Amino acid sequence: MAQKYITYNNLLTLLDELGKDYEVYTPVKKGEQRFYRKYAEPADDIVIGEVRPFEPLKAFFSPAREKVADGFKPDIPHSENKPFAIVGVKACDIKGLKVQDHVFVDHDYQDPFYIKMRSQNLIISADCTCSIDTCFCLALGTKPFPQEEFDINLSKVDDGFVAESGSEKGDELIARCSRLFTETGEYVLSKKETQRRRVTREVEENIKKNDVPAQERLGGVIDKNYESDMWKDEAKTCVECGACNTVCPTCHCFLLYDQKNEERMARFRMWDSCMVKDFARVAGGANPRPRLWERLRNRFEKKFDFFPKTADMYACTGCGRCISACPAKIDIRKVLKRLANAS
Amino acid sequence: MHHDIENPYRPIETEVIEVITETPNIKTLRLRPKERISFVAGQFIELTVPGVGEAPFTPSSRPAEKDIMEVTIMKVGKVTERIHQLNKGDIVGLRGPLGKGYPIDSFKGKEILVVGGGCGLAPLRSLMYELFDRITDFKRVYYRAGCKTAKDFLYKEEIGGWAKRPDLDLRLTVDEGGSGWQENVGVVTTIMDGIQMDYASGIAVVCGPPIAMKFATKKLLELGFKDENIYLSMEKNMSCGIGKCGHCRIGTYYACKDGPVFTYAQIKNFPNIWD
Repeated sequence: MAQKYITYNNLLTLLDELGKDYEVYTPVKKGEQRFYRKYAEPADDIVIGEVRPFEPLKAFFSPAREKVADGFKPDIPHSENKPFAIVGVKACDIKGLKVQDHVFVDHDYQDPFYIKMRSQNLIISADCTCSIDTCFCLALGTKPFPQEEFDINLSKVDDGFVAESGSEKGDELIARCSRLFTETGEYVLSKKETQRRRVTREVEENIKKNDVPAQERLGGVIDKNYESDMWKDEAKTCVECGACNTVCPTCHCFLLYDQKNEERMARFRMWDSCMVKDFARVAGGANPRPRLWERLRNRFEKKFDFFPKTADMYACTGCGRCISACPAKIDIRKVLKRLANAS
Repeated sequence: MHHDIENPYRPIETEVIEVITETPNIKTLRLRPKERISFVAGQFIELTVPGVGEAPFTPSSRPAEKDIMEVTIMKVGKVTERIHQLNKGDIVGLRGPLGKGYPIDSFKGKEILVVGGGCGLAPLRSLMYELFDRITDFKRVYYRAGCKTAKDFLYKEEIGGWAKRPDLDLRLTVDEGGSGWQENVGVVTTIMDGIQMDYASGIAVVCGPPIAMKFATKKLLELGFKDENIYLSMEKNMSCGIGKCGHCRIGTYYACKDGPVFTYAQIKNFPNIWD
C-alpha cells in the first residue's frame, strides 16, 4: 500500500470531515494517563502516538452495559448514534480486537450487536512513539506499531504523520480527501522506520529488565503448573475487584441481566468478571471454583490454555493494563515468568 | 453484511398452559411458545421470568411434539422460586433450543443403558420418548433410575407404566426405602450390576446430580463401557447459550454450545469435571 504524508493540521481537518459520518474519538493526555475523548475541536491535550490509553478498545464495540432485548420483539435494539471513528488505536488493542472478533464473529455463533458495531466503525491506528514500564507486547508477538486490521495507520514523523491505508475504507477515505495528503519521501519514511526501531528496542529492554518470557516459552505451561502452589501464592493479595477483567482488551465475558420490572421484559448485558466468586456457580449451589486462587488460575488458563487450544492465539496483548490496574500488585509478567521457569 | 442474524438474546413469548406438581419441590410447566421450537433430547432452553431473569433447563417432553414443551423444574434458586409461583395463563420467555443433544442416530443397532438420578430423570424422559418412538432401531434399551425417597421420584406413575413394556428392561431404586416401596433400596450403582448386555459395545447415557454421575461413570468404566460411549449431561452455569458469555467453560469447551451432552472421552482429561 502506497504511503502518504499528512500534516497535523490537515489531520485535524480530516477529523472534522469524519465528524460528518462518525462520532470521532481521539486519545487525550491527563497527567500521566491517556484516555479516549470525543473529538469536537483541536485541543492541546490530544495525543496521537505515545502509548495505549487507559481504557481498552473493546469498550467501543461491546459496551460495558448494553440493551440486548426489549420485550419479546424479534428486532434488535440499536442506538441511533453514528458509528465510531477511533483515532490513535494501538497495536496491542488491535490484537485485543482479534480475540474479541474470534469470540463474537468468527465462532460457531455470531453476535449481531458486536458485528454491527464492528463493521460500521473506522479504525485509524497509530504507532507507539514511546513505551511505559508495563509494556511487553513483543513477548506476545505484537509489535509496538500496527501491521493489520486498521483502516489507516499513522506513524508520527516531525509535525505530521506517514499515513498507510490498510483497507478499502482507508483507500476510499484517502482518495476522497486527497487534498489533505502529500507524497512521502525517503526522508520521512526512514524517520518512521528509525522511530519504530527505537520504540521496539525500548520494549525489548522492558522485557529484559522484567525477565518476561517470550510466547514461545508459554506452550503447555498451564497444564504443567496446574497443581502448583504458585496460584495460592499469587492470589494472596487479590481483592476480587475484577479490575484486571475490566481493563483487559481480550476479556469478553458478560452477564445477561433482566430489568426488574415484571410488566416489561428488557435484557441487558454487562461486562462480568471471572474473579468474582459466583461467576461459575450454578443455581443448585455447586461452584467449580469456590476459592480465589482457583479463579486466578482460571483467568490464566483461559488466556494461556483455552485460547491457544481453541483459537490458536494467546488472549494477552502485552498491554500491561492489568498490571497498572491491580490494587493488589499482581503482575502478569511475574506470573508468566514463574510459569515458564517452573516447567 | 450480517443484518440477517437473529437476536440470540431475545426470548420467545411463551404461555404457561398447565402447572403440574411432581414432588414437594419439583413442578412441571407445560409451555406453548408463540413461535414453534423444535429440539432434540438433551438440548436445553433458557426460560425467562419477565422482570426476574432467566435460567437453563432441559425439556422433559416428547421432542416430536412440536407445539408444546414441558420443562420440569426443581426449586433451588431465585429464578426457580419465582417459576414455582407461576400459574396457568402466565407469560414467560423461552430461548433455544441450545447446545447439542444426544446423537440418537448413532445409537442404531446398539444396546443402550440409560442411568438417571433425581432431577436428571427430567431430560431422560425426553430421551426415553425419543427412544420409544423408534425402539426397533435399537438392540435393547435398559433403564436404571434412582431418587432419594419414593416421594421424590419424578413421573412415578408414568415410569411405573414403562415397567410393563416388554421392549424395556427397567429397574428403580431409592436411597432411603419406606413403607410401600417394593423395589431396590440403595444408590443407583447398586442396580447397575447383572445386566445381560455387551458392555464393550454398549451405549450409556447418564444424567443426574454431579455426585451420582461421578459414581455412575466410575461404575460404567468398571463394567467395561468405552469412554466414547458414555454420554454425560454436564450441569454448568449456562447463560448466553452460544459460547460468548464465558460462564460455562469446561476445559476447551463451553457446555452451552459444545454440550451440555458430552462423551466421557471428550472431557475426562479436564481437571475437576465433577465440581
